[in-house]
Amino acid sequence: MSSDTQRLFHDVRNPLNNISVNAELGKLTLERTNDTEKAVVIFERILQECRRCDEVLTELRDQLVSGEQPSAVSSTHPGDDT
Amino acid sequence: MAQILLVDDDLGFLEATTELLELLEHTVVSASTVAQAQQAAAGRSFDHVILDLIMPDGSGLHVLDSIKNRDQTSVTLVTGHPSVKSIVKDLYGPNISYLIKPIDLAQLQSLFATDDSDHELDTALHFGHLVGESAPMQKLYQMIERVSKTQANVLLMGESGVGKEVVASAIHAATNPKGGFVPANCGAFTRDLISSELFGHEKGAFTGATHRKAGLFELADKGTLFLDEITEMPIDQQPNLLRVLETHKVTRLGATSSIDVDCRVVSATNRSEMDIAEQGCLREDLYFRLAVFPVHIPPLRQRVDDIPLLIEYFLAAFNRQYKASAKIDPKDMARLQAYDWPGNIRELRHAVHRAFIMADPDTQLLVLPDDLSSPFSKVGDQKHAGITVGKTVEDVERELIESTLEHLDGDKKKAAEMLGVSLKTLYNRLNSYAEE
Repeated sequence: MSSDTQRLFHDVRNPLNNISVNAELGKLTLERTNDTEKAVVIFERILQECRRCDEVLTELRDQLVSGEQPSAVSSTHPGDDT
Repeated sequence: MAQILLVDDDLGFLEATTELLELLEHTVVSASTVAQAQQAAAGRSFDHVILDLIMPDGSGLHVLDSIKNRDQTSVTLVTGHPSVKSIVKDLYGPNISYLIKPIDLAQLQSLFATDDSDHELDTALHFGHLVGESAPMQKLYQMIERVSKTQANVLLMGESGVGKEVVASAIHAATNPKGGFVPANCGAFTRDLISSELFGHEKGAFTGATHRKAGLFELADKGTLFLDEITEMPIDQQPNLLRVLETHKVTRLGATSSIDVDCRVVSATNRSEMDIAEQGCLREDLYFRLAVFPVHIPPLRQRVDDIPLLIEYFLAAFNRQYKASAKIDPKDMARLQAYDWPGNIRELRHAVHRAFIMADPDTQLLVLPDDLSSPFSKVGDQKHAGITVGKTVEDVERELIESTLEHLDGDKKKAAEMLGVSLKTLYNRLNSYAEE
């Protein structure tokens, strides 16, 4: 797998992670403080991170279609990021 | 409630996780670069550090070097994949946990779930730093409480090893300022560089000044500057320090304009007020600027009731650090409490650490050495042999004559010569001792 493709695999995990943390934050905010304004801000963040996710996935698809054999993906393991 | 340092370059993650941890009632300091984290962490204590391993300006692990209580801090790495675990474990030992992306609440909470015992430990700490419930410490806490509400400079006085820097950190924590805690040892600066360290310098200010550098006063802006061993500062440098304290302005070496600084200066010395005045190691005008609020930290022998608490505290910290469960025998506890600890808490901590290393692997009990006293305290004893407060001049003289005779195998003529008295005087003294 090319280093660009590896980077994209890494990059997609970051917005996904932020979606997860913000979803937990939103849940806890509503449960504990019932602050709906804050919750709206948090949902907006989640949507933004979804768009970031989508951008990276689009880029990843373009990479795979143009450069590499799709089989190359399954033969590697994404274990080299942080 | 834990003190957490959170370091990650992903601002979205940083913001959301900080809010999440705060909602869980923890106190969070967040940073998006290693440099920022190091500045925020300098001299502070944290229960937990949550780090991204790879940061744009270097490895997140560099942050750990800046943390004051590294021994007692749990480290958690945020990672995209579990395989990083094995690599880091080899490098930094087993005392590291991991958050695997995507992170959820259960993962975050599991970091603190194992810390129930630490919780009890933390609540026993006064101002997040100090251990002890004895009367002298209660008095000290009261003083810290009072001074924390003011901007006054504090001069800490106490014997070596009583924990002057810890008290300074406690004052900083009680004040809860916007800025950081910046510790420095005046005895450690070389004479030539002391001004540049304290006040900073511009690029090209002197040979070797290749970069502009902020001084300690600037770093401590809106926080606390701790100057340890203040009496070791060369007397000719003291007017510069005095000027900064008076004007609240610092001029970097080679700079044309000054910068406003606003920080509390906590200084410390192991000399008494009498010594400071007699030996002239601190200018009088500087003394009054620094010692607006003088605080005496009691030696450990005046707070023996706190010894068991301190031992339990250190033991818990070592147990956590080494993932052990060593205990102390009540008999040993009594022995440690009976000793007078001339090296104070530093010596006590060292003794507990040593006994922890020597601990019996079967019983898990600490093993104390046969002789507790340190080589340093023995040197002190010899030097002062014979001369202790409360002895009469006659007693001391008799001791001197007797040990001189003993040294010369009873040769009275030589002894009289050595003591600078006539042989007749020596006989008179010896006769009077015989009559008693």
